[in-house]
Amino acid sequence: MNRSRAFWLVVIAGLAAVAPVLAQEPYPSRPITIVAPFPPGGVADLTARPVAAAMEKVLKNPVGVVNKTGAAGAVGMQFVATSKPDGYTLLLALSSISIIPEADKLFGRPPAFTVDQFAPIALISADPTILVVPANKPWKTAADFIEDAKNRPGQISYSSSGVYGTLHMAMELLSHAASIKLRHVPYAGAGPALTAILGGHVDALASGPAVVLPHIKAGKLRALAGWGDKRVAALPDVPTFKELGYPDAEFYIWAGVFAPRGTPEPVLAKLRETLRVAVGEGDFKGAMDKLETPIVFKQGAEFAAFFEADARRLAEGVRKVGRIESK
Amino acid sequence: MAETLHNLVLGFSIALSPPILLYAFVGCVVGTLVGVLPGVGPLAGISLLLPATFGLDATRAIVMLAGIYYGAMYGGSTTSILMRIPGEAASVMTCIDGYAMARKGRAGAALAIAAVGSYVAGTASVVGLMLLAPPLALFALRFGPPEYFALLVLGLLVLAYMSSGSMLRALAMATLGLLLGMIGIDQMTGYFRYSYGVVELGDGIGVVPVAVGLFGLAEILATAGLPTPPQVLRPALRELLPTRQEWRDSAWPIARGTVLGFLIGIVPGSAHIISSFVSYGVERRLSKRPEEFGQGAVAGVAGPESANNSATSGAFVPMLALGVPSGPIPAVMLAAMMVHGVSPGPLLIREQPGLFWGFIASMYVGNLVLLILNLPLVGVFVNILRVPYPILYPSILAFCILGVYAVNGSVVDVWIMLLMGALGYLLRKLGFETAPIVLGVVLAPMIEMALRQSLAMSDGQYAIFLTRPISATLLGVGLVLITLGLKPLVTRSLDWRARLALAEKGDEQR
Repeated sequence: MNRSRAFWLVVIAGLAAVAPVLAQEPYPSRPITIVAPFPPGGVADLTARPVAAAMEKVLKNPVGVVNKTGAAGAVGMQFVATSKPDGYTLLLALSSISIIPEADKLFGRPPAFTVDQFAPIALISADPTILVVPANKPWKTAADFIEDAKNRPGQISYSSSGVYGTLHMAMELLSHAASIKLRHVPYAGAGPALTAILGGHVDALASGPAVVLPHIKAGKLRALAGWGDKRVAALPDVPTFKELGYPDAEFYIWAGVFAPRGTPEPVLAKLRETLRVAVGEGDFKGAMDKLETPIVFKQGAEFAAFFEADARRLAEGVRKVGRIESK
Repeated sequence: MAETLHNLVLGFSIALSPPILLYAFVGCVVGTLVGVLPGVGPLAGISLLLPATFGLDATRAIVMLAGIYYGAMYGGSTTSILMRIPGEAASVMTCIDGYAMARKGRAGAALAIAAVGSYVAGTASVVGLMLLAPPLALFALRFGPPEYFALLVLGLLVLAYMSSGSMLRALAMATLGLLLGMIGIDQMTGYFRYSYGVVELGDGIGVVPVAVGLFGLAEILATAGLPTPPQVLRPALRELLPTRQEWRDSAWPIARGTVLGFLIGIVPGSAHIISSFVSYGVERRLSKRPEEFGQGAVAGVAGPESANNSATSGAFVPMLALGVPSGPIPAVMLAAMMVHGVSPGPLLIREQPGLFWGFIASMYVGNLVLLILNLPLVGVFVNILRVPYPILYPSILAFCILGVYAVNGSVVDVWIMLLMGALGYLLRKLGFETAPIVLGVVLAPMIEMALRQSLAMSDGQYAIFLTRPISATLLGVGLVLITLGLKPLVTRSLDWRARLALAEKGDEQR
């Protein structure tokens, strides 16, 4: 009895002695988890998986993806915000990371998380939304569309991925920039929103280019303009709202990697460098090509600036929409 | 027609090539497992396995994922019939009469009918998918929010036929279900409703934990509370097969369920879940002996099981013909195509004939594989009932908790299931039926969303439901149903429901 007690004492003492040494082991020394706060098959998931695969190759250390879904991404983001800042739990977030806390604020509820609980590491991709209308509608250009919307305020309808969702925000930024009023019909996700415009139940949709391209090619939808800084490569004839004189209508569906705030700087530096090499990998480029998603890599101060500007635009967008009173 | 045949030959040449055959087989086996495990449905199964398909080519990945989808529909009936635990949401209706059959020693017959019904429905609906996909898909797209709302109202009317005995009690349970369905983020304004600060409740109460709790857990609790444990069933081998009468009773329900399921399945949205509910309601309405429903009517297994299987093929119609994500599962499959560089869209059939026809042919093969896989398994599964209850029930409980947790990795879901189990036990003791609660939970968010989207489209004008032809027609059918339902009130004749209620009263007095 005494002997076994002594044995355990030795074991505990041994562990205590080893622990600090373990803590100083080079990062990474165990598997890294990237949390995708949306279900498999969505943009976050489809970006996270090739990112994880490429990081694994660079770090020669296992990197896994976990889908922690719920409440439009809030569940997964909250999970990472409150996890240990040791570089082993990362988040692959989309623009909604800056919308959710702002919407929480709007409704006066305790926020699930705040933006400053995260340390931005790098931007992976940024895809501007484009404005599409059914091909049988009269509007040939964005100017036609905006003019008609001015003449008939609240009559032209659009579908979105959900209230305060990314596709809703894109349309609101345009509405504000062009001083028009459109009729919003929210759907539960980008998929149903696309189905709605293809069925002719709404008149317009702001969407990522990849999912609507086949329908544009098939002559079902017409692209009028894009929200990007530059024109979309696959649609060289479609102008940007910036060119048309609405510089405030700028919006991207982007994906970036974040760590919980408080992650040590050497670990962050290592992750930035890893991601920089990872996005140059052939396999990663191939995967993003298939998804027709352009790789836009920004890190450090550049990403922080992009993230802040985007968060400011979105926060303003949410405030302009305000609380939606039921009707 | 000649072209279709030619294409089909191309399809079979792809589907019967060893690698594709292997992936179809793997998909079917995984799907059956996913369906058998309580709680884990096809969506969870496909989502979990999607990353594993990233290394395959597009045709193999799609064939395997589709195999999981329709395989789950076969497997879902197993636990429903044997233990009253819905393997996935679409099997809820099978729990009622399937389990009643099992308690009478007809578990083997119920399982066999479910498998054959699923096979007939699966195969017939692939024929429909092959021949009618493009025109049907265009029709399906015309289902916008107002049409969807009208369809769901029809589904709601079916509620009235679901329960035996007191209509008042059935409606009370349906209302409870609708109220539970209101929990979560309001999709139109972003307000949280009844979430009490629990972020997970923002998504509302899932159908899976509710169904597993109300049916499975309540059953386990009720059995544990019996003064003498029920006798362990020992079905003899010859009792495994359905009798001639049982075959005859299920032939028409299978046929009707197939057509109904396919038509409801093509409508974009999550309507496929209600296909089994609607089929059950229709069968009871058409039956000469509606009082047998709930007591082990074979039609109550055959109809819904066929409907949920053909609904899966129906759901592929808009997905393949137009590249439209017509529901959560097709959406995941479209994502899988995009990962492989196939852009789903209206040109898919023309640009990727190998993929489309290989897929169609693999579904014929897959359904056959599932039939061959499932019929012998009937004998194996029925043996589960021989396990003594002190061992069987705790293990089922463990599987329920694991299955419900696995869907979202959420402990909140497990708590919901446990609470629903307690509630289900209580309601059972008080003589309430719980199936209307599940339908209420399924319908409430869909019906509310469709109503409010319709009103957003029309700027608050209710006339939108009457000016659009499809929704007006559907609502008209609903009106006819209500009128028929009121007839006994006017003519003062007792319908079967009233007779049954009287009989029940007699039982209680005795």
